[in-house]
Amino acid sequence: MTTIESQTTSHLLDQHILADFIQHAGEIEHPREMIIDVLRAIQLHHGWVPDDGVELTAAILGLTPVEVEEIATFYDKIFRRPVGRFVIHLCDSVCCWTRGADEIAAHLQKTLNIEFGQTTADGLFTLLPSCCLGCCGIAPAVMIKQQFYGPLTPEKVDELIATLRQEGSA
Amino acid sequence: MLTLTIDNQTISIPAGKTILEAAEALGIMVPHFCYHKELGAVGSCRMCAVTVHTGPMPGVKMACLIAVEDGMVVTTGDETVATFRERVGEWLMLNHPHDCPVCDEGGECQLQEMTISSGHGIRRYQGGKGTYTNQDLGPFIAQEMNRCIQCYRCARTYKDYCGGRDFGVMGSRNRVFFGRFKDGMLESDFSGNLVDLCPTGVFTDRTFRFKSRAWDLEQADSVCPQCGVGCATIPGGRLRELQRVRSGDNPLVNTTFICDRGRFGSGYANHPERPRQARQEDQVVSVPAALTALETQIRATVKQHGPEAVLLVGSDRASLETNWLLQRTAKHFGCRVPVLNAHRQRHQTAQMAAFDLSERLASLQDIRSSDLVLVCGVDPLAEAPLLALALRQAVRKGGRVVLYDPRPVELPCDADRVAVSPLALQELLADGGVEGRHLRDLLSQAKNPMIVAGADLLGLAGLQNIQKWAEKTSNKERPCLVYPVLAGPNSFGTALLSLPEQDDLLTRLASGKVKMLVCVDADPLLEAPEGERFAAALTRLEQLVVLDYLPTSLSRHANLFIPTCPPVEDSGTFINNEGRLRRFQRVLKPGLSLARTAPGEHPPREFSLDTPGSDPQPAVLLLQRLIGQEQPLTEVHRQLVLEQPRLAALVSLKAGEAGVRVAPAVARPHSLDPLPEQPAQTLELVVTPARYGGDLFSRYAPKLEPRKRPPCFYLHPDELQAHGLKDGDAAVVETDFGSFTLPVRSQPDMALGCVLVENSEAFPQLIPGAGLGYCVISAGGANE
Repeated sequence: MTTIESQTTSHLLDQHILADFIQHAGEIEHPREMIIDVLRAIQLHHGWVPDDGVELTAAILGLTPVEVEEIATFYDKIFRRPVGRFVIHLCDSVCCWTRGADEIAAHLQKTLNIEFGQTTADGLFTLLPSCCLGCCGIAPAVMIKQQFYGPLTPEKVDELIATLRQEGSA
Repeated sequence: MLTLTIDNQTISIPAGKTILEAAEALGIMVPHFCYHKELGAVGSCRMCAVTVHTGPMPGVKMACLIAVEDGMVVTTGDETVATFRERVGEWLMLNHPHDCPVCDEGGECQLQEMTISSGHGIRRYQGGKGTYTNQDLGPFIAQEMNRCIQCYRCARTYKDYCGGRDFGVMGSRNRVFFGRFKDGMLESDFSGNLVDLCPTGVFTDRTFRFKSRAWDLEQADSVCPQCGVGCATIPGGRLRELQRVRSGDNPLVNTTFICDRGRFGSGYANHPERPRQARQEDQVVSVPAALTALETQIRATVKQHGPEAVLLVGSDRASLETNWLLQRTAKHFGCRVPVLNAHRQRHQTAQMAAFDLSERLASLQDIRSSDLVLVCGVDPLAEAPLLALALRQAVRKGGRVVLYDPRPVELPCDADRVAVSPLALQELLADGGVEGRHLRDLLSQAKNPMIVAGADLLGLAGLQNIQKWAEKTSNKERPCLVYPVLAGPNSFGTALLSLPEQDDLLTRLASGKVKMLVCVDADPLLEAPEGERFAAALTRLEQLVVLDYLPTSLSRHANLFIPTCPPVEDSGTFINNEGRLRRFQRVLKPGLSLARTAPGEHPPREFSLDTPGSDPQPAVLLLQRLIGQEQPLTEVHRQLVLEQPRLAALVSLKAGEAGVRVAPAVARPHSLDPLPEQPAQTLELVVTPARYGGDLFSRYAPKLEPRKRPPCFYLHPDELQAHGLKDGDAAVVETDFGSFTLPVRSQPDMALGCVLVENSEAFPQLIPGAGLGYCVISAGGANE
């Protein structure tokens, strides 16, 4: 079984979860299939996946770092750079577009004073475009911490941001 | 056979071929990128569009993906597909920089060729281009990602074909990046193939950067001399410097891949210490004068002391023609037959391959399509790198590799690896009890079984048993083939030529009758075990004559030295492990490179009719002059075939061809000696060639330095503990060939009961292939 030194990994994963991953990786035929699970666990614990997070994932699963990096960089919901406390994924696919996503996008950028891909100076918000979130019924929509919000109007966006600000400062 | 029509031409072609292959056979070039004949088709670049006019779904199709059908009608140049391909060309070029005039790939760029052939010429796109930050991929490969067209050939080469795991595809859509996780040297021993396979200038040969334009190079079809596989190469030289080596194409041997040792290990041709002048007793003499002196001395010595007094020595790195001419020379002067390989055991095992196994030799092509390969006593990455790639292809196609070896053998594929000591391996092959029977059953049941046998580790007895196994597990439907791994590029050839009465070098030297030793492209000090005995014998000689192109220590000791040419400066023939005759052609004429005579400056303004450093001559020519019979190579081949009918294919052999097998011989009867007992309290000694620096050529290849490892003794951690040693300690190992002090390293993947050491320039004292050896290890440093 893989042995990993705990003091170098405590900032990335809870030690119990780490032990579970190591055990599970030893039990299944293709540990590679756990890449996303481990990366998401690291992201949950650390906020984003730093280089040593990729290396830790590789060590747990018996892979090389680049084999993990291929997956980590493919998915836009795995963050390989620091992000704000709330990552706003704004859907840019067709249903949301027909229902006014462009206006929401402009409003979000103006309100937060950042462009897509940027994080606010207070470290609270990161704004990212996303492909279809699968919630066309509430278009235009955003996803924040795996919660959907929509249909959005500029006013509702203001309310949402205010609520999150409050939550962030609490 | 299926008959179809492409562009109004009719062709009959076997089922299973694609439209692209059929068109190629007709001489019709359909532009393509992602398709490569070894990597296969993926249909991702959309460049090879053609129109299929027949069948239930006529229309635009990708030629690389569609299998030919009977009665099919295809056009490759109609307006629809011509426009389609032009658009694809335009789209592939969107982000590509316009740096062709300064690009390292310029002149041999498939993108350049295919863009032009697609018809795209004028850029319409006015937007910004994607740009990338490049990585430092080490001293061999330079990366320029801005030129990338995302064809994925590099990933398919490095990961899929070669099994490298430190290179990959990152990102998605228009941000795709091909590289490593972090900067650093690419780890695969086949990384150089990125250069050949990348269709544009993303991955280029860093060691060749800024040296020459491809069209300025002198190039010729050659054969890599750095192991017994005999890969097709195309070395390129300019300004009297061998500047690069790229892979040739031999579908039966290496396909279009070569290893990094062969690609970046060519520095010996321009080594600064390469001897370029004839010397007689520290005096520089002309080559004709040296030859006259040699002739006089040979005649005088034979006259005074008899035919035993002059001993000629050839080698497994000298061409077939050189070795044969040595035999001619001996006959001419009335000397006894020459010794063609100073390494007695290697010579015996090579003879085993050249005679007894010659009916059942496997090619690398066979191995690539085998369903079961039993690998015995071979470390492919060290002894025959392309074999490792062939094994990987077998595994990729669903085959299985079972490997028995004492070393921590790394393979670029899955294998059932069993670490056994050399003696245990011999016992297994001799009978092997239940395990042996199980392995033989596996071989018997396989559809296409192969045995790969390492001649160095198994020795004569091991190969004899392998032959028995192969006989027993063959049946009427299919044979069980054997791929012997021999040491040198021409081990097979020297073995085939040699005569039974040649004896071994040390026996003949020990007789005391030898007064004059003539070594041609051979250094028994470095290439044969018992170097100490050989060195002692040297002191009893009256004359040591060396003809060589490597700056070996023997050439410095010689009373008379005459410089010869390496394979790139000579034409000739090697016979590879699989008994295939491989012709190489001269790439360059010998001479001191301009990089040396005028480092970065104007060439010297001295006028002379001679090229500086051009004294070296091919050994064949020197020997012909020595015996006064200068003949073209074709005449040499005609006469050689008269003596050796098995080499009949030699006459019509051409460089760049796949090469023809030598005719098989009848296996000789032999008896097996019982295995020796291991002396008490000893460990088995395993000497293996280092991956880089194990062969003589790569010792004189400065480019390979970053891949070389310092020498040490490897032991299993349990063995270290039993001997009271820790990883990194100095230890003394006493062997039959002397006692040596080196650090010890723990190696959990190797067999118990063994001490492993790599033979390289840093540790040339122990030579692989010397047979079963034993040693005693103790904590060391005390006697230093």
